[in-house]
Amino acid sequence: MQLKRPRSPLHLGLMAASCALLSDSARAQAAPDDAAEKPLQIDTDLLYYKENAGRVQTIEPVVSLKKDFGDQRLLDGTLTLDTLSGATPNGAIPSRKPQTFASPSSTSLTPKPGYKTTLYTIAPGDLPQDPHFKERRVAGDLDWSQPIGLDNTVSYGGHASTEHDFDSVAVHVGLSHDFNEKNTTLSAGINEEYDRIHAHGGNPVAGSDYALYEKEPSQTKNLAGGLIGVTQVMRRNWLTELNYTFDHSQGYLTDPYRIISVLDDTGAVTGYRYENRPDTRTRQSLYWVNKVALGPTVLDLSYRRGKDSWGIGSDTVDAKLRIDLGSGMSLEPHARWYHQSAADFYNLYLSETGPAPTYMSADPRLAAFAATTFGLKFGIATRRNGELSLRLEQYQQRPSDQASSLAELQGLDLNPNLKATIVQLSWHLEY
Amino acid sequence: MSAARAGAGGATPPPHAPEFEVVPREGGIVAVRFVAMASPCELLLETAETHTAHEMGRVAAQEAWRIESKYSRYRPGSIVSVINRSQGHAVVVDGETAALLDYAAQCHLLSDGRFDITSGVLRRCWRFDGSDRLPEPGAVAALLPLIGFEKVQWRASRITVPAGMEIDFGGIGKEYAVDRVLCLIAARFAGAALVNFGGDLAANRAPGTGPWQVGVERPGTEREARLLLELSRGGLATSGDTHRFLLRDGVRYGHILDVRTGWPVPQVPRSVTVAATSCVEAGMCATFAMLQGIGAEAFLEEQGFRYWCLR
Amino acid sequence: MRIQSIARLAILLSLMLGACGCTSLGVKPWQREILARPEMALNAAPIDAAIDDHIYFSKEAASGGRSFAGGGCGCN
Repeated sequence: MQLKRPRSPLHLGLMAASCALLSDSARAQAAPDDAAEKPLQIDTDLLYYKENAGRVQTIEPVVSLKKDFGDQRLLDGTLTLDTLSGATPNGAIPSRKPQTFASPSSTSLTPKPGYKTTLYTIAPGDLPQDPHFKERRVAGDLDWSQPIGLDNTVSYGGHASTEHDFDSVAVHVGLSHDFNEKNTTLSAGINEEYDRIHAHGGNPVAGSDYALYEKEPSQTKNLAGGLIGVTQVMRRNWLTELNYTFDHSQGYLTDPYRIISVLDDTGAVTGYRYENRPDTRTRQSLYWVNKVALGPTVLDLSYRRGKDSWGIGSDTVDAKLRIDLGSGMSLEPHARWYHQSAADFYNLYLSETGPAPTYMSADPRLAAFAATTFGLKFGIATRRNGELSLRLEQYQQRPSDQASSLAELQGLDLNPNLKATIVQLSWHLEY
Repeated sequence: MSAARAGAGGATPPPHAPEFEVVPREGGIVAVRFVAMASPCELLLETAETHTAHEMGRVAAQEAWRIESKYSRYRPGSIVSVINRSQGHAVVVDGETAALLDYAAQCHLLSDGRFDITSGVLRRCWRFDGSDRLPEPGAVAALLPLIGFEKVQWRASRITVPAGMEIDFGGIGKEYAVDRVLCLIAARFAGAALVNFGGDLAANRAPGTGPWQVGVERPGTEREARLLLELSRGGLATSGDTHRFLLRDGVRYGHILDVRTGWPVPQVPRSVTVAATSCVEAGMCATFAMLQGIGAEAFLEEQGFRYWCLR
Repeated sequence: MRIQSIARLAILLSLMLGACGCTSLGVKPWQREILARPEMALNAAPIDAAIDDHIYFSKEAASGGRSFAGGGCGCN
């Protein structure tokens, strides 16, 4: 064995580099998600949503923090602020004659001493919308998840939100079990929600005559639901998940601001009624989502089928394609197609003659329509494993044509399309 | 709550159909043998219990196969294949791959650019099958623009390899696997252990009976003499040039290529064996020495390495 | 009953997944590099998803399916 010289700078450099390789990779292997190296994630988002024809406009900032306490124990908190303004349709249909309504915050339809009356008049042919709609909402979510043993995860969390006319609290608990070398995961969960509705100016007596303007104190509703799901690794580049969810709501399920026009045989307006929805609703949905990596590109494709006890059936197809542009930039086009059938008790208007139905609503959200969304999201990587992104989407709802033979309604657009633009700025950081 | 998350990776490797064999040796040592990275692999453990040997063998084999699969050029899903197909787009890599890329970058600098993980494209025109078929000078020159680690952008977990260029961890992978396996074994096994992947080896300490006795093959020498070394702990790696070469007009072209010209480094030693703190360090040092060609011994002497060099 | 048909669809799809031979589906633990990429997570953009869910909840009759309803809002 020859006597060796002292180690040269190159030798020391190689020793240091080799040492660093083995300790860095050991650390990386210990936390394969890299989560232990970057335990805190901060997301700030700003949403701007605007509908056409002077309708609803929203500005919504969201802040979300996610902290990894090691060993897959995660705390997730989100705060959302929502300011809405603009005009919202009140459920009545356009008419040849001007129509006058009272804003919901009014306590009387006609001016009377000691009562507040804010009226608005709709021009002939226009869709009746309340222009005084203004709302501010604050919502908070907190979720915790942690492993139990090697193959199970438990999670639980809560949500609370408040706005001028609505308060909500909800809790949920879930359990998931991995097996098959973590290729298959079974999940189950339950959730419970309790809401209090106290509309501006009081909750109207459901189904009552609008002219009577009868109001009631606040009402409540609650929802209990469950979810079961299976996630399966199909291939090295393909992950799929199938979820079945169901829920049952009961209580005050009516929209306190919506009315339905009452027309005579010619189609002229003779009055309005407050809408009235059943006090129970059971919903189910089946949701199937896939993530497929095609080289650096990732496809997200999902289908959802929904059904409920109000007779509404829905289909949703959603596709996103994340394209890597290099240098940390990405582009993600998005397309969504949605279709729903009308609720059993949905009617565009009521007829004065004929029996009055027990349940009725002219809410366009319960009508039959098809909706499409087209969007594009551009992202750019920033320091600290972060990302800045801008998402632009266009949403359009097209109600099924509802032609009417009534004379007074000819030439009126009874159920106009809804168009909305969505702009979202997001900033993701990791510490 | 999202309905389910498929786990990112098993915390412990699941039971695997053993494709390895356990062979007791004398002196209280048990050997576990399997094949990985196209080499015969061996794990020597100072233990009397075959079930411990089976368990450690499983850990060792799983880790070797994991690294082989993850960094294999031949598997389309490996991170190396993803990077080599990325056509100039950035690829985000995980912590382990990032550590290997950092190491490759530092070795590139330490060797003045001679060690280069982008040099694999030269495979397209060099086939060292012992024949006399040399490539066209033009073909080699055409590949030079596609070589050069300095052309790769490596920053913040993102690597961008320009279109047409390739990387591979062939010069680091086996030695890295040896050190990783020893690390995993040492965390689970109290006794002495030695990991040997086809001549690249590392040990954590000597068994009670004395240092590990290592025989380094020296093919092509007179009497095929083996170099006998004693190893207590650390790494040992051998770089050799005897098997893969081309012979034309009496001139021998070895397979160690100079990335600056695309042609073999002249007068490379037959075999260089280096002992160092880890297998990765020993292997890289042996590679650096080979890249010096005629200056290999002087280089090893200058830098203060423990080495055995054969011409 | 209407409720039955969706449950039947769920059972059928699950059986299809099962029939593929779940034991032959999946990857070894060391084959997860693609699945480990952040964009391959099923909830890769949770805030986008929450925002979309909120928008569609207030404009359409169906909602959720991906996970639990996060909690109500007065918009439907």
